[in-house]
Amino acid sequence: MSNSHLFLPSGFPRAPLQNGIGRFVCQLQRITIKFCKSNGSSRGVREFIEKDLLDFAHNYPGIVVYVKPRRHHSPCLSAEYLNGERQYVNCHNHSRDEVIKWVNLLRTESGNQIIRLRKMWHTDCPSIQGPWSPFVNRDPHLNVVEFPNESLSRPVYLPKTATEQLKEIFEKQRQTNVSSLDEKQAE
Amino acid sequence: MCKVCVVCIETMAARQTILNIQNLVNPSLLTVKRNYKRWLAPTLKELKRRKMKMGPEPPTRRSAFLEWNYHAELFAFGKRLGEEFRKDLLQRAFTHRSYIVQEEMRQKEVGIEDPKLSLEDNQEFIRRGETLMSEYLKCHLRVALPRFPEEGICAVHGYLMTDKTLAHVSRHLGTKDIILSSDFPVEEVTLATTLKALVGALAESSGAVRAREFVRDFILTQLAGRDINEFWEIKDPMRTLADILKRDGRGEPEPRLINESGRNTILATYQVAVYSDKQFIGLGYGESISIAVEMAAHDALKRLFHTTENMKPIPFTVDVRSMSYDESKWNTSVNDWSSAKVENVDC
Amino acid sequence: MTAYKRVQQWNTFARVWHLYDATWQNPFESAQRIMKYLKGLHKPIYHPLNDCGDHVVVINSGEIALLGDEWRKRVYFHHTGYPGGATWTLAWELHDKDPTMIMKKAVYNVMDGNLQRRYTMQRLHIYPDDDVPEKIKQNITNQIRQLRPVPKRLDRYAPEEVQRFPKVMDWPKNYILR
Repeated sequence: MSNSHLFLPSGFPRAPLQNGIGRFVCQLQRITIKFCKSNGSSRGVREFIEKDLLDFAHNYPGIVVYVKPRRHHSPCLSAEYLNGERQYVNCHNHSRDEVIKWVNLLRTESGNQIIRLRKMWHTDCPSIQGPWSPFVNRDPHLNVVEFPNESLSRPVYLPKTATEQLKEIFEKQRQTNVSSLDEKQAE
Repeated sequence: MCKVCVVCIETMAARQTILNIQNLVNPSLLTVKRNYKRWLAPTLKELKRRKMKMGPEPPTRRSAFLEWNYHAELFAFGKRLGEEFRKDLLQRAFTHRSYIVQEEMRQKEVGIEDPKLSLEDNQEFIRRGETLMSEYLKCHLRVALPRFPEEGICAVHGYLMTDKTLAHVSRHLGTKDIILSSDFPVEEVTLATTLKALVGALAESSGAVRAREFVRDFILTQLAGRDINEFWEIKDPMRTLADILKRDGRGEPEPRLINESGRNTILATYQVAVYSDKQFIGLGYGESISIAVEMAAHDALKRLFHTTENMKPIPFTVDVRSMSYDESKWNTSVNDWSSAKVENVDC
Repeated sequence: MTAYKRVQQWNTFARVWHLYDATWQNPFESAQRIMKYLKGLHKPIYHPLNDCGDHVVVINSGEIALLGDEWRKRVYFHHTGYPGGATWTLAWELHDKDPTMIMKKAVYNVMDGNLQRRYTMQRLHIYPDDDVPEKIKQNITNQIRQLRPVPKRLDRYAPEEVQRFPKVMDWPKNYILR
């Protein structure tokens, strides 16, 4: 039940700057694609740049794309977000499809640190009726009663005792006797 | 991982046996096996120690990096917010007076006698943006909270216009790297004024309606999920409540103890309700009876002003064009407030 | 945190003082109920880490009723830790020595054996009779219902009521009662 053995920190989902309530702003500010022009590990990234990069830049004009060729280095994607956080993805030996997927993931992330989400929702107003307190639905006559009180102490749900049943039978008998007496007198 | 084939294993075994024989025969021909380097970890630790000793690195501007294109950043900034800015206006909005002064000083130092910089500063935009923001926020709040007194509206508006709030919004919109100003790292004041300048520039390039939508979508939404009453501090709620009830012609407020628990303990809790003419008007609780009475008075005022926890939320998607925009029509002040005055208002 | 939120938290986690009359009640059954109130299981905000337990004041613990032979046969074991320090005390002997002990041990033994037990037990106040200190009496704001009905003793009834009660049978007039 504890999380002291986990390395991944935990938290709750939050949108930076109430994103979505007013208008939606893509949180990715700029993405830097570093690759080597000749090494085989950058082949996927090179293909991505040749074929998909322009479409990506055209579809998402709010993201600045920097392309930086570097010799003798693994290809990587470095993303910067509006809240100042950075994400780094190493694309060594990735295929073109993988690079596309990683780029789309970076685009759709908010810059928040990757955490284990304790709850999949967040609300600022968890209750409309108001939070519970021990005084909710409390009988107000308890305020004027003197403790200990005999009627409050008695158990509520009791089966009928033999004594009570006897009393009832006696009462019923008396009623029938009285009514038969009345009839006789009337006769 | 590929399966190592039988042939490879045989060759590897053969190679190892040859090596072993070689080592036995001539130890000086000892071949080096792949292993970790003993000198690596201590060297890295020493380098780290020296780096720590030198103190923290001073922050560098993003514009000092090799991958930086100012015009691309400006263009992307406009597009990201979904607004069409005029290029020169947007650039002007980010240029501060201090930057221009700094540039002129630099040029004078170099030797240029008459520095003619083609940059204009954003003072005009800041002024325009500030008035526009202020007017619109007040207008929207008055429409959204018609029963809330004017002092409360001013308090909420004051909170939204603080440098801290505006700087927070500005930073998360990504203005930090694009701002041209003499101070680095950028201060809160600069960020706040840049946001005002942006509103001004937007008004200039796309019109007042788009600017108002911008203010609504970025600055007003800072109220989402917040309790409005926390911004406005009412000094003596009981006296205010008594005045309001007198103006309404109702009986004066009478606090009564409703519930209590643990009177002689540290965790004593008291629940007090306020009545007027034997009608319930507010409920409050607290650590002591006086606190509970005060909170009950606050609660009664909230119920009158319709700003309780379960009130109708402030709308953030209202059509700006359809809003009646009359700056002169203020809400009633708390010193004149009475139910009759807000009766005709819809809320 | 605003004053409103602070006060809201104080209100939700307020500790209530309950009263329980243990006259003629089975202490072990009562302990189950009392334990619930002490832990806070009767509250919708319950969580073991929440510290939401209430106080319970038990009165008349000297008047408790054990089942059948229990007074004579139930034995409480205690060992001081030193050799020859084992004692076996019968329930009636323990009750004579300290009338609150049986109730206290009943509640203690019905709780979970975790580290919170000792803290929760501090919120239980047991008195052998009606005599409760004034300060604690002022704290009490609720009463827990008893589990068994307390029958009225015959000598507590008024003589007219006894006479009026319907008789199922009566001895013959010349019958001599031994």
